[in-house]
Amino acid sequence: MTGTPLVEADRLSCNFPMRTGLFGRHRDVWAVRDVSLAVEKGETVGVVGESGCGKSTLGRMVLGLESPSAGAIRFEGRDLSTVAGAERRKLARRMQMVFQDPFGSLDPRRSVGAQIADGLRVHNIVPASEIRAEVARLIDVVGLQKNAAARRPHEFSGGQRQRIAVARALATRPDFIVADEPVSALDVSIQAQVVNLLADLRRDLGLTMLFIAHDLHVVRHLSTRAVVMYLGRIVEEGPSDKVFGSPAHPYTRALLAATPSISSARKADEEGVLSGELPSPANPPSGCAFRTRCPLASDECAAAVPDLAPYEPGWKVRCIKAGPSHRTGDPT
Amino acid sequence: MLRYITYRSLVAVFLVWIVVTLVFLLLHLVPGDPAEVLLSQGSTAADPQAVANLRQRLGLDDPLWLQYAHHIGGILTGDLGTSFRDGAPVAGQIVQRLPRTLEVIVTAALIAVLFGVPAGTLAAVRAGGWIDNVISFLSSLALSTPVFVVGSVVILIFAQELRLVPAGGYVPFAVDPARHVLLLLMPAGTVALALWAVVARMSRGSVLDVLERDYVRTARAKGLKRRRILRRHVVRNAMIPVLTVLGLEMGTLIGGTVLVEFVFNWPGLSGYLVSAVDARDYPEVVGIVMVISILFVFLNLVVDIVYAVLDPRISLSR
Amino acid sequence: MRKLILPVSILAVILALVVLAPVLPLADERAMDIPHRFAGPSMAHWLGQDEFGRDVLTRLIYGARASLSIAIGSALAAALIGTALGLLGGYFRGIVEIFTVRAAEIVLCLPPLLLALLVVTIFGAGFWPLILALTLLYTPNYARVVYAATLQVRALDFVTAQRALGTHPLQIVVRTMLPNVLPPLVVQISLVIASAIVIESGLSFLGLGVVPPTPSWGLMIRAARGAMEQAPLLLLWPSVALAGTILTFNLLCDRLQSVLDPRAVPAGGAIWLRRRRTAPPAPRTAPDEDARNDAPADLLSIAGLTIALDRPGGIGSGMELVRGVGFAVRTGETLALVGESGSGKTLTSLAVTGLLPDVLGVTGGTATYRRRDGAVVDLLAQDEDGHRRLRGDEISMVFQDASAALNPVHRIGDQLTEVILAHRAIGRAAAKREAVELLGRVGIPDAERRARAYPHELSGGQRQRAMIAIAVANQPKLLLADEPTTALDPTIQAQILALIAGLKRDNPEMGVVFVTHNLAVVAEIADRVCVMYAGEVVEEGPVATVFARPRHPYTAALIGSVPEGDAERLVAIPGTVPAPGHMPPGCSFAPRCDHAVAACREAPPPEFSPEPGRRTRCLRFEEVT
Repeated sequence: MTGTPLVEADRLSCNFPMRTGLFGRHRDVWAVRDVSLAVEKGETVGVVGESGCGKSTLGRMVLGLESPSAGAIRFEGRDLSTVAGAERRKLARRMQMVFQDPFGSLDPRRSVGAQIADGLRVHNIVPASEIRAEVARLIDVVGLQKNAAARRPHEFSGGQRQRIAVARALATRPDFIVADEPVSALDVSIQAQVVNLLADLRRDLGLTMLFIAHDLHVVRHLSTRAVVMYLGRIVEEGPSDKVFGSPAHPYTRALLAATPSISSARKADEEGVLSGELPSPANPPSGCAFRTRCPLASDECAAAVPDLAPYEPGWKVRCIKAGPSHRTGDPT
Repeated sequence: MLRYITYRSLVAVFLVWIVVTLVFLLLHLVPGDPAEVLLSQGSTAADPQAVANLRQRLGLDDPLWLQYAHHIGGILTGDLGTSFRDGAPVAGQIVQRLPRTLEVIVTAALIAVLFGVPAGTLAAVRAGGWIDNVISFLSSLALSTPVFVVGSVVILIFAQELRLVPAGGYVPFAVDPARHVLLLLMPAGTVALALWAVVARMSRGSVLDVLERDYVRTARAKGLKRRRILRRHVVRNAMIPVLTVLGLEMGTLIGGTVLVEFVFNWPGLSGYLVSAVDARDYPEVVGIVMVISILFVFLNLVVDIVYAVLDPRISLSR
Repeated sequence: MRKLILPVSILAVILALVVLAPVLPLADERAMDIPHRFAGPSMAHWLGQDEFGRDVLTRLIYGARASLSIAIGSALAAALIGTALGLLGGYFRGIVEIFTVRAAEIVLCLPPLLLALLVVTIFGAGFWPLILALTLLYTPNYARVVYAATLQVRALDFVTAQRALGTHPLQIVVRTMLPNVLPPLVVQISLVIASAIVIESGLSFLGLGVVPPTPSWGLMIRAARGAMEQAPLLLLWPSVALAGTILTFNLLCDRLQSVLDPRAVPAGGAIWLRRRRTAPPAPRTAPDEDARNDAPADLLSIAGLTIALDRPGGIGSGMELVRGVGFAVRTGETLALVGESGSGKTLTSLAVTGLLPDVLGVTGGTATYRRRDGAVVDLLAQDEDGHRRLRGDEISMVFQDASAALNPVHRIGDQLTEVILAHRAIGRAAAKREAVELLGRVGIPDAERRARAYPHELSGGQRQRAMIAIAVANQPKLLLADEPTTALDPTIQAQILALIAGLKRDNPEMGVVFVTHNLAVVAEIADRVCVMYAGEVVEEGPVATVFARPRHPYTAALIGSVPEGDAERLVAIPGTVPAPGHMPPGCSFAPRCDHAVAACREAPPPEFSPEPGRRTRCLRFEEVT
């Protein structure tokens, strides 16, 4: 750890009360539970997990778009819940977001230029006379044609829209960007364009990034550190190479094994496939949430939720049987 | 399912309470003295003695909470006060007239659905063809002509010019069933016309929408026969939004009965309301509005329950 | 926009008449002429005179004045209040919602006409009580409509993006939300005006609205009813005026809806539903004899398949979305059809089963299929009935989104029984038993109970299993799976892929066409791969050899763009897929291709066979890798 991390989530939880029955036995559905995560300046942290694991909620909470039911988010050491109103909005300049859906993330009724300029105006990034020039510069940075500013979003393809969304996020000159599945909705060849763009920006602008995706390959490619989530909790966190190279949590291993690979000679087979489905977050299993599907599960796993314990320096695993796989599921 | 019905029923009870309170508040919170407002005709000021008497009769001198308690208590015991005009208990009149109004409403809804759904489905299946155009034209016309205009024109043509039917009236079913039905069909058919148009248009749109759904393609991919697809996978699903609209239109339907009962001299609750409003007979108006509104809430409850039968997703998610 | 001309111009005329009434050369609307009461139309009185001898035309126009000013006035007042309530309630939610939208909705507990009658009872009849009653009546309507639209827009990411930018909430409401909820609002205004005219005239008709001697249409009809015997025409004029005006507003509303939200009006009809007795298949290009004789053992052999937009007179009719596609599937083989969106892979699979959307048509090619009974048929020449007999029986499909592809209102078991009964003459009970067995076979636990569940009660993975059970219920010879795992999570995807592989082991005769965009899935499940780009097959061959040494630059680039391995930068294909109708004259990939030379841009490249069992559509296939 080198001083204060840029963004820090401290025991963050988010639950939705759900009523079952008529007069409501209230039952909490935990979308995110007890997540602590520090993102150092210049780092790209990738968050992976299957749908419903809470990765998107985590991303939105970090930006303050959703309020946590417990825990705190600190930006440069300042607790976000203690800042409000105009000052909080000022802080928003330094944290931006790129969304998954390239069609929903742009206002269909306003020109691309106007939407990129929003951030410039709200935070007075440049004098009013230079806004046009600045928008043109941003459009150039993300690799779009100069005349893009005057056009409406519907004139662009999915990949181009995602570039526009990146330009809009960059307008406020943020230090930190949350990218929530930014390439999932794109075609393979276009996905590569956007992944390359994000990699370039990170290098050129020194951006810190929280990269959320369900595609392990993309996360592994982009991130320096990886976080694997299951049913609202972090189950493994560590350097990308290590987490994906020799996963220590059985869920990470299963996820890797399930992800098809172009270079593997493996054929689809009922053997070796993780059985069962994600338990309902309204009614999670006792103890380790993964034990119902885990090949290593034993009685002790049901006793208590395991700690996210250090496994190697900078590498933490939430499993009492953490260790290298017995049967390697790693494709590479 | 049972849980859902219980839930909806509780909501209905809550709504009835809202209605009762709303009517109370409307009468008591409007600026000015209701007694004075009631007794003043045009610019002539009311006689102070009469105002004082009326205030006393209406209990307006009591504190507001006591008045409210009386109001609720009266409704719970079925005592809706007595009419200004003839001093008769309002509840008695309502009990006598309510079934006749219900008869019109239910008949009208049945006519509208029985003719509207097939017409809309046919129009959708033949979208763009001449049948579609004819149905679309007829429904626009029906939708744009207010019920009292339709009623008046019906009387003008069928009673006045062709002399086929009487110009309205009422005969109890026990006395002359055929004539009762004939006299019922005129107001019911008139109110049904606009509702038919709504149902037909909604059915058409809904069927067209369902035809585009993936599950219809699945049904085709299964190799099912056209008829079966249309019946089980298209019309069945298309009825869900139609029912929603039917529920939303219940208020208009009830409003329509007020007008047709007046036009056809049908001695129902709604026609009674008009004369009460005209005479500004407070207890009568309040009583009738309350009963009709409760009826409205009840009809919506019925729609909600049918809805849950048609759409299994509803009863779970509430 | 042209659709709006008719209703808008009629309304302009009506409004002009109403506004200009005082300066038009009309008779005095209150001047009585008792001797000429009930006089018919004449030069001086075009529409005749009423029961007091007043001029009917004048009274009609002045009646419009009353009706329209009440209706439009209250519609706009209600719009203003309702929109504010709906926007605030929808955007801020929580406590604000309760005090805005929910509070307004209390009014909806009363039937509309009754509420108006209550207001009239309290305030008496007249112009202002009517405005008040109608405003009160319609405010919750607007609040609801705007609230619903606000909720919808609010959930969109561009609003979240504004919040993330740090824009002031009120600025978001006014600048971002308001313009986006405007379309439903405008439609609602025209709808409310029509409805307000109905209520106003109804009240006036009952004698509880506009007070005589002010003319109003409702009052005129009321008076005419009493004089039906003497002058039936007096009933006609106001009725026509009233119905006509309402009709125009309704028309405006319909047209606005279709202009502002084109999706709300479905394109219309389902051609497959109409039994066409005389339906000779459209003339097609003659089947290629070579292709037919090439591989006699093929289960399905497609040649020259072309699919085009088929809307007579419509925009872009004849535009080809799939051009000259050909491939063959052998018995027991899994062929992957891979490509990006717009490549035509899904359309190709739909064309084989005759399930193309109505706006598309097959304009050329053959699909030779060998039926169970040994007969050879051209699938593209079948009519709906011909397809129907094969579908679900010999040829079946699995779709991408099982939650949409299963009918939400029928039980899983019934949806499965249905397909069994459609093709086999067995009893209902036997079919039901078989359905439960099938559900168990595709890995749904507790199948007996799950058969009685509705689709929404199953998880995404189980729904896709049920979908697959439906597809394999009749032991098909050919299974077409259209992106069956795309919407699923990796671990569930792996389960489904394993299931399909398992089903193939059970039924080794079954040929599978697996449509996907995911190359890694192809590697895992397919024997051969057919790569499509912009509506054409660009390369085909055994998976292992194609992936090891692609012979088309597009295939090579696709493989390079997958973020596996240690490359610092991914291979990104510059530009985008050309839009149909804007295909370049030469090779369709040439504008994005690193290897393209002048010859590539001149004419579409022919098909080459670099080695037995492989095809590529690239002039420079030797140099690609």
